[in-house]
Amino acid sequence: MKKYATFLWDCWRLSFVGDWRYHLWMTILTLLALTGLYAYCQQFVYGLVTTGMTDQVSWGLYIANFTYLVGLAAAAAMLVIPVYIYRNMHLHDVVIFGELLAVAVIIMCLLFVMADLGRPDRFMHLLWRFNFPISMLTWDVIALNGYLVLNLHICGYLIYCAYCGRKPSPKFYVPFVFVAIVWAVSIHTVTAFLYVGLGGRPFWNSAIIAPRFLASAFAAGPAFIILTLQIVRRVTSHQVSDDALLTLRRIVQVAMIINLFLLVCEVFTEFYTDSAHVASARYLYFGLHGRNALVPWIWTAVAMNVAATSLLVLPASRGLGVLNVACLLAIVAIWIEKGMGLIVPAFVPTPLGEVVEYFPTVHELAICVGIWAFGLLLYTIFVRISVPVLAGELTYEKRFGKPNEAVPGEGVRLP
Amino acid sequence: MSQEAQARAVGRTGLSVCISLLIFALILALNPLPFLSPVAEPAAVPAWATDPTPVRHPKLAPEYQAGVFTFRCSDCHKLFPPPAQNTTRTVAQHQEILLKHGINTWCLSCHHPDNRDAFVDDRGDEIPWNQPQLLCSKCHGPVYRDWQHGSHGRTNGYWDKTQGEQTRRKCIECHDPHQPPFPPMRPAPGPNTLRMGPQDVAGHGTTKNPLKTAGRAGSKSPPPGDAERGH
Amino acid sequence: MKHAESQKPESSKPEVTRRGFFAQGMAAVAGASAVAAAMSPLRHLTSGDIPTLEEFFQKHYKEMTAEDKEQVFNRIRTAVGKRYRTEVNLADPPPMDGVEFVYGLNLSRCIGCRKCVHACVAENNQSRAPEIQYIRVLEMEKGSIDVETSDHHYDPPLVPNPDKYYMPVQCHQCADPPCVKVCPVEATWQEPDGITVIDYDWCIGCRYCEAACPYWARRFNFTEPEIPADQLNPNMSYLSNRPRQKGVMEKCTYCLHRTRVGRMPACLEVCPTGSRKFGNVLDPDSEVAYILKHKRVYVLKEEVGTIPRFFYYFDERGSRYAEPIAPADVGGDA
Repeated sequence: MKKYATFLWDCWRLSFVGDWRYHLWMTILTLLALTGLYAYCQQFVYGLVTTGMTDQVSWGLYIANFTYLVGLAAAAAMLVIPVYIYRNMHLHDVVIFGELLAVAVIIMCLLFVMADLGRPDRFMHLLWRFNFPISMLTWDVIALNGYLVLNLHICGYLIYCAYCGRKPSPKFYVPFVFVAIVWAVSIHTVTAFLYVGLGGRPFWNSAIIAPRFLASAFAAGPAFIILTLQIVRRVTSHQVSDDALLTLRRIVQVAMIINLFLLVCEVFTEFYTDSAHVASARYLYFGLHGRNALVPWIWTAVAMNVAATSLLVLPASRGLGVLNVACLLAIVAIWIEKGMGLIVPAFVPTPLGEVVEYFPTVHELAICVGIWAFGLLLYTIFVRISVPVLAGELTYEKRFGKPNEAVPGEGVRLP
Repeated sequence: MSQEAQARAVGRTGLSVCISLLIFALILALNPLPFLSPVAEPAAVPAWATDPTPVRHPKLAPEYQAGVFTFRCSDCHKLFPPPAQNTTRTVAQHQEILLKHGINTWCLSCHHPDNRDAFVDDRGDEIPWNQPQLLCSKCHGPVYRDWQHGSHGRTNGYWDKTQGEQTRRKCIECHDPHQPPFPPMRPAPGPNTLRMGPQDVAGHGTTKNPLKTAGRAGSKSPPPGDAERGH
Repeated sequence: MKHAESQKPESSKPEVTRRGFFAQGMAAVAGASAVAAAMSPLRHLTSGDIPTLEEFFQKHYKEMTAEDKEQVFNRIRTAVGKRYRTEVNLADPPPMDGVEFVYGLNLSRCIGCRKCVHACVAENNQSRAPEIQYIRVLEMEKGSIDVETSDHHYDPPLVPNPDKYYMPVQCHQCADPPCVKVCPVEATWQEPDGITVIDYDWCIGCRYCEAACPYWARRFNFTEPEIPADQLNPNMSYLSNRPRQKGVMEKCTYCLHRTRVGRMPACLEVCPTGSRKFGNVLDPDSEVAYILKHKRVYVLKEEVGTIPRFFYYFDERGSRYAEPIAPADVGGDA
């Protein structure tokens, strides 16, 4: 127990250690997170009137970001599957960064849900009267928190073992890794079912939403990890092979193609049928009754999706420069597609045919940026801690041997 | 780098972090993003909009008001003989009455020829003044049937008659017997919800509605069958 | 926010421990002040915004005992009475045995005057600013029943427009309500008389029900609702028209504080045309039972399968309101 407390204390202290670039980065993130906190406090005081949401468009950027991030979290499975199922060892050393990303991102998801609640002070009602299994939202609560716990356990166990200088025992984490794979698929499926099960919203009421969610998640998530790993290998001593990145590239490639294909299926069904159900899609792609706030966004997303997919299928994307551009395009395109392209248009027009557009407010944007900054802050700290610990540069032995020496331990050379 | 120099570097970094935090604290304390309420002033709701009384308040008695005097209808009409069948003539009295009741253009279709304090039924018998629905039922059979069962007309008060009184409004509390269509009225204020923005009223109508394709989208001309309208 | 104070420089040498200690303290102060500044908007919180312990631990309506209820109701009476400076008559009428409420609305007769909308607001203590209304009247194109071609914002000098017809929409009190299904905390449920109610003290404000409703019948309090004290309806019930708080959902309850004691709902009472019909569908002699049996009935969005208790019906022939006659006195002079 004392050992574990020392571990946590070392992690805490380690998160403050770094060169000026690290501190600059962390300071910027902190300031952004504080701005978000400031905007959230205003929202807490005045209510959700500080956001651009209305009775007509009752979900906005919070739920959009939430949906996107659930996908990002699920993408950790895309690193685990090749390693643990197909025994592809290129990715073996980087799996943990995917799982750590999942932890940070799920925390962001939970923050976005909290930000969206009208009565966050009544959050406890979820525990006292839980409408399970009828409400899909309760499934999502279980799925997300379960996934958080699973990944916290796996990462925490592996890092703690490294800290203690002993070999992790597979029976304490491998079963959880396999559960987490299934769980990763389930978090995104359940999140899709949140929307899909609503008969009153024809735009969502389509069986293809869940597969589309998964496809886009398995594109955006690994794309995000490709970029992250390159940063990790540049600023830390951790080795990430190009083979690992290229394995991920193949995943992104296939997922992007499937995602694009499913998008075409969706668009064809809507527009060729041309039934009354098409109103939301028409609003999204072409505007409705002269309202067209989302049109530039979605066409940007479509263009970026196509560009990213084209780049990825070209051999040129084996070069990291092109690959990075493709990944960035995919990440942004899917963020637009999932957020503005999936959540908002389902509310326009309303079930009674009224067209009221949604424009996020500055406060809402500040809260979103704040949560993103906080998530990146967490992830940076996770990476900051896990790299030296996993490399064996910081262990209990070294700490214990020189009790007076503050962190970093002898072995830790700051980047 | 010597340990001393490194320590100084760390100190400098720490100092800049502290200073930037303090500056930022100052900025936030000055409330850089004040919340400006988008809530619109409530629209004034006129009193009539919540008034449950019927549009008409007819006297259910055969009385006629002339200045401060109230007469029974028969007070005057006993002085005059009933007009012969099928003669229409300009009336000197009752000029305020504009008779626009479809093909029913004759006073004595409804008013009893011999007793103006009553209406007349199909057999020439009297219908008491306070039972106008029996008169209307002479022609408006289906509507009368619906009224009897409550699917037409106003029912106010208690739906549960065991707990309180129920009022069935009679025909002439909504319809002017001389101009029966329900009168048009000014609509109460429309919606003005949060962040609704200006609403383009003419923006609707991208429909496959056959009435819209006859080149009348946006125009106000009535469809065939709807005759000219008064206002 | 925890990490705000995290930006303290680290002393890595024993010999600079004292300086390091000072630096850490300074960093902690800087971090704490940044967090405090970020949270400074909270100073605008009023006492009503923070739940008391009693409110925090208040039970779900269905779990409250009679004594619990009396205690909670008394607290609400005091709070509402104090805020609006009036005597509050807060009741909790139970559903009646053998009663299932059904609404009928005659599309051939409605003239779109919107009196129902405002009578509802006055009766049910909806917020005036921002504006919350349970009833939306749609001006529909003749020859179409597609709500998307409707106009919600018509404002001609006189209604009805002879080219249109009018369709008021409010909560349909579905027998298979999607809003109840999706609520994660069971803050909304269907009562035995068919009315879907909300425990405003239990709702967490996730607005999932609002997304689920195919009739756009639910409303959210995006901020503290505002009702002029002189316009408050003091006859209220726990599950219907007592004033709501910021951040919770609300909806039409068929005026259950009226209808459960035998009275008609406010929207019906005010309807000048008699287009609105309400009653107990289990009573074969009721007006609504007659309508369902003998009239041609239209169920809005029947394809979504929520089995509404709100029916639109038609007469053999529409109203003759296209004919030129003088407008009614009412409403002409406002």
